[in-house]
Amino acid sequence: MADIGKHSWKVAIFFAWLVVGVPFAWGVYNTLLSSVQLFDPAQTQVGSK
Amino acid sequence: MNPVTSIGLSTAPTCPSACGRRVWERLKGFVSLASRLSTPRLASQEQVRKAEPSLLDRERSIAPSGYSRWLVPPAALAIHLCIGQVYSFSVFKIPLTQLLGVNKSLPGDWKQTQVAWIFSLAIVMLGLSAAVFGRWLEKAGPRKAMFAAAVCFALGFYVSYFGVATHQLWLIYLGYGFIGGTGLGLGYISPVSTLIKWFPDRPGLATGMAIMGFGGGAMIGSPLGIQLMAHFHSAQDTGVGKTFLVMGTMYFLLMMFGVFTIRVPRDGWKLENWTPSEKPQALITTHNVDVDTAFGTKQFWLLWIVLCTNVTAGIGILEQASPMIQELFKGTIGPLAAGGFVGLLSLFNMAGRFLWSSASDYLGRKQTYFVFFVLGAVLYLVLPRTGGDHLNSVILFVSIAVILISMYGGGFATMPAYLGDLFGTYHVSAIHGRILTAWSVAGVLGPVLVNYMRDYQIEHGVDHAGAYQTTLFVMSGLLVVGCIANLMVRPVPQKYWLPSVPEHSDYNLEPQRSH
Repeated sequence: MADIGKHSWKVAIFFAWLVVGVPFAWGVYNTLLSSVQLFDPAQTQVGSK
Repeated sequence: MNPVTSIGLSTAPTCPSACGRRVWERLKGFVSLASRLSTPRLASQEQVRKAEPSLLDRERSIAPSGYSRWLVPPAALAIHLCIGQVYSFSVFKIPLTQLLGVNKSLPGDWKQTQVAWIFSLAIVMLGLSAAVFGRWLEKAGPRKAMFAAAVCFALGFYVSYFGVATHQLWLIYLGYGFIGGTGLGLGYISPVSTLIKWFPDRPGLATGMAIMGFGGGAMIGSPLGIQLMAHFHSAQDTGVGKTFLVMGTMYFLLMMFGVFTIRVPRDGWKLENWTPSEKPQALITTHNVDVDTAFGTKQFWLLWIVLCTNVTAGIGILEQASPMIQELFKGTIGPLAAGGFVGLLSLFNMAGRFLWSSASDYLGRKQTYFVFFVLGAVLYLVLPRTGGDHLNSVILFVSIAVILISMYGGGFATMPAYLGDLFGTYHVSAIHGRILTAWSVAGVLGPVLVNYMRDYQIEHGVDHAGAYQTTLFVMSGLLVVGCIANLMVRPVPQKYWLPSVPEHSDYNLEPQRSH
């Protein structure tokens, strides 16, 4: 029974992190996409500097 | 089946009238008995209901046996990811100035300067509500405070929707600015105490995770707002109003997840397999200080200066990031690349909150701020030298800027643990709430300082790139002031300690760390 309880908490932790992790990852991904423009040779000449 | 026999009443078939009377009497007796039995029970249920704490009360949020403390950070993150949306409010700025013209501003449309007040008001309310409601929060518990934050934040969006629909700017000031801003303050500080209590071994890591969410919130809010407005946009509608409605609902639901996931540790809870350090550490107390008492201590105001200078200096970069990189590297960096630079700063602002705060568990809070101030002061001096007129290195400029911005974020996230070390965990959320007024001041001081100095120099013939140099030098000076304040921090004297922890306090107040 204790094992079942422990397992349930692990599942709860997984889903709890999933609930916040998915939007968080989506936000980070979008920001990374926009950040890439700083290193885009079409937008900047960073590589040549 | 005869209904009478079915309820177990005996009948006399030979005498219908007597039978009917008897049945009637029995039924009356039955009803009377049922009434007698049920009335006191209903009364006691009523009493029980009155005595029973509501779902939002602290008593109902005490962790059950087996509850994992790793459920608390996602609960806190759920709140911070939502309220962090405030930093992406700028995506609504232009659409709000085109409500009548839809694709262009018409004479009756609001001006950008008028719209800018919405964000300012929200930030001011954040600081004020955190300061004012901190004490209530400690009493009410995190769940009730988080619920109140969710209601205020969502309500702010809904009221703003009506403001858009009726083209009444005051309704948006009231909604997003005043009501939503109150939700920001409540939400920001509500999980702090709880996190520090669940993670006595790593308070910096715990609060860093939550406050990182505030940085991450802008990253979600910005693309979400843009995509929703694009979805609802039509020839007659900018889509802002409907976006407010959808965002308010989505954020409310995510915040409710946090509300019902958070738990406070039961009285006497101790972390398994962890023993507090035996080595005494002067700045980590085992005692508690009341919020009102803390407010009058030298330590509080020194930390207020620490936060204010650190935030003001960070705003010096954030406020002018995009024009600065374009003007320092004229011909190399265009507007799109500058936008990428701003995105990169957001990432490091968020990462710094988690990394520096976690590192402070090992380095110590005072030492962590020492690094912020000394390294920061040097880097602010070096930053303008990386420009096109000197070293001409974009890579070096970007590297320094991201380190500086990571320390700006780290300064926010390390503060709750610093306060917990100095004043104990009893009123740490409330004390944190009051110290956030430093943020409000810095939020006004930083941009004013940066913009005023820059305009002044340009008016006096300094070129655009050169104007940044003086501004950044002043930021460096501010960090020196912060460093001095940090070095002056000493343990809170015994006269300020609470003699004993009041009963019915919000949390278990057994000191969980010794030294």
